[in-house]
Amino acid sequence: MFKIIKYDFIRKYKLILIILIAAVFLNLLAIVKFSVQGGVMFLGLFPIAMILLYIVDIIKMYSDDLNKKSGYMLFMTSYSGYKIIVSKLITAILEAIAILLLYLIFILINSIYFSTTQGFDLNVNEIISAVNTILSGRLGFNLGHVFVFLLTVLVFATGFILTAYTSITIRKSIFSETKFGGVLSFIIFIALNWASSFSSSKLMSILPPYYDISGDLGQISATQLIIALLPIIILSVVESILMTLGSGYLLEKRINL
Amino acid sequence: MEFNNNMPIYLQVIHKLKQDIVTGKLRPGEKMLSSREYSHELGLNFNTVARVYKEMEMENIVFTKRGLGTFITESTEKIEIIRYEMAKELLENFVNGMEHIGFTRKDMVEFINK
Amino acid sequence: MKELLDITNLTKKYYNKVALDDVTISFEKGKIYGLMGPNGSGKTTLMKVIIGLHKQTSGNVLINDNPLSYKTKCFVSYMPTENFLYESFKVKDIVKYYSDMYPDFRSDYAMEILKEINVDIEFRVSKLSSGLIGKLKVALALSRDTLIYLLDEPLNGVDVLARDAIMDLIVKSYNENKVFIISSHLVSETEKILDSVVFLKDGKVELCGDAEELRQQHGMSIENLYKEVYK
Repeated sequence: MFKIIKYDFIRKYKLILIILIAAVFLNLLAIVKFSVQGGVMFLGLFPIAMILLYIVDIIKMYSDDLNKKSGYMLFMTSYSGYKIIVSKLITAILEAIAILLLYLIFILINSIYFSTTQGFDLNVNEIISAVNTILSGRLGFNLGHVFVFLLTVLVFATGFILTAYTSITIRKSIFSETKFGGVLSFIIFIALNWASSFSSSKLMSILPPYYDISGDLGQISATQLIIALLPIIILSVVESILMTLGSGYLLEKRINL
Repeated sequence: MEFNNNMPIYLQVIHKLKQDIVTGKLRPGEKMLSSREYSHELGLNFNTVARVYKEMEMENIVFTKRGLGTFITESTEKIEIIRYEMAKELLENFVNGMEHIGFTRKDMVEFINK
Repeated sequence: MKELLDITNLTKKYYNKVALDDVTISFEKGKIYGLMGPNGSGKTTLMKVIIGLHKQTSGNVLINDNPLSYKTKCFVSYMPTENFLYESFKVKDIVKYYSDMYPDFRSDYAMEILKEINVDIEFRVSKLSSGLIGKLKVALALSRDTLIYLLDEPLNGVDVLARDAIMDLIVKSYNENKVFIISSHLVSETEKILDSVVFLKDGKVELCGDAEELRQQHGMSIENLYKEVYK
């Protein structure tokens, strides 16, 4: 399974390099032309651009393997369908984490640059107290909230990726002969998303007593937050598992390349 | 070696080997290439060559020594018989062909002596 | 069990055509089969079902007595007729990929063959001519040490000299425990290396038998027989 992931990244290697160089170049350009504001502009636009590129890339990666002849490279090997879908999912998640880390590095470098060149003292004490403020919840949230947030993002991002992949898989197995495959995949994607939101709203309607949160909404603790979100998180995890099993089965037994 | 695909290939290989034996290109008792090597050399299917060797062994033109390989017969009488049989076939073809274009046996002998 | 590949009542239907129609046939080990027929007769579909790239509509396939599954793919080395190699990879990267993905792949042997047939391993696939790609694909398929070899039009797009080289490779790869199934339009060039031939017509087995016997029986080459069958 690791090998599938490894080769997916090797195949992207050139793309990664180009994006990296372009990002560095744009960052420098922004700083040179617009100084601190340029840097902030760059850091603000970077995630938007990267999210778009990311979505295009991870979908293309899977779609190419199922729709193009180059997919034979993967499908002639004796990996089970389940291993393939899980590997693809892991690749997508690793890619997201890598982009996130890249973003943090950019923030870090830009911050250091500005604090040193703009004459701000890189006061370690100030940084520590700022972090402490966040951690002690004086701003209204602490590390626990951040954790819940990241967990939720991870769960729903996984769900999104799997929904996209499953749509493509369904189209390439059950509907392999239908024309306009791309459109069909998208329709299936919408259908799966609809089914998912239908089931979560159903779930919410069954659980009203659960959501009787008393108290000031502005002061929800991390624990309370996670309890509130738990049902839909679990639902999303269950859906992800179902989609993984479904795609795995289809890839193994019903695929028509 | 060129092959005529319109007739069984193994027969053509046998024919060639018989020719080589009769002309002395393959000496009596000489060790032949293994079927594998010979199939590589001729660019032919292994089983075709294996059949060639088997058929020739049945006709006692070659013999196999376990573990050592396949060898041309050492019997000069046998080789003469092969030569005779090949000559007979050539002659039959010649006679038939000549009769076809109107030669009598007498004509043929005269023609040859000319 | 002599039959490495056992196919029973195999049918592959599409909306508007039947690619394979109730095909029952066995392939024995230690033989080289020629799979012949015009375009659309089902040769490629048959191979793709065996390697698991296509799902059959009905019927059974047994590979070395195992039912068809992702696990049986390791027993099959398939050479597709299409260009399927990763374009951005260099030849040596492709070799490395095969070596990584297939435990039975013989890298050294592959490198040797590639050198012999003049494929430069530093070239990117996208820069290779169709002839070189053809040679590369065959080399990759034959470098695997497995039981069943399916070569779909191995001589396509390959120049005359390289064809001989490829045929030689196939002859040299012969092993009494392996089976080779080669589909080719170029009947006259391939027939001398074939043990048996299978003629497919409209998804059905039209004719099959030992090549030499067919030559004797019909008094003509397999190529001429082909012309007779498909005229």
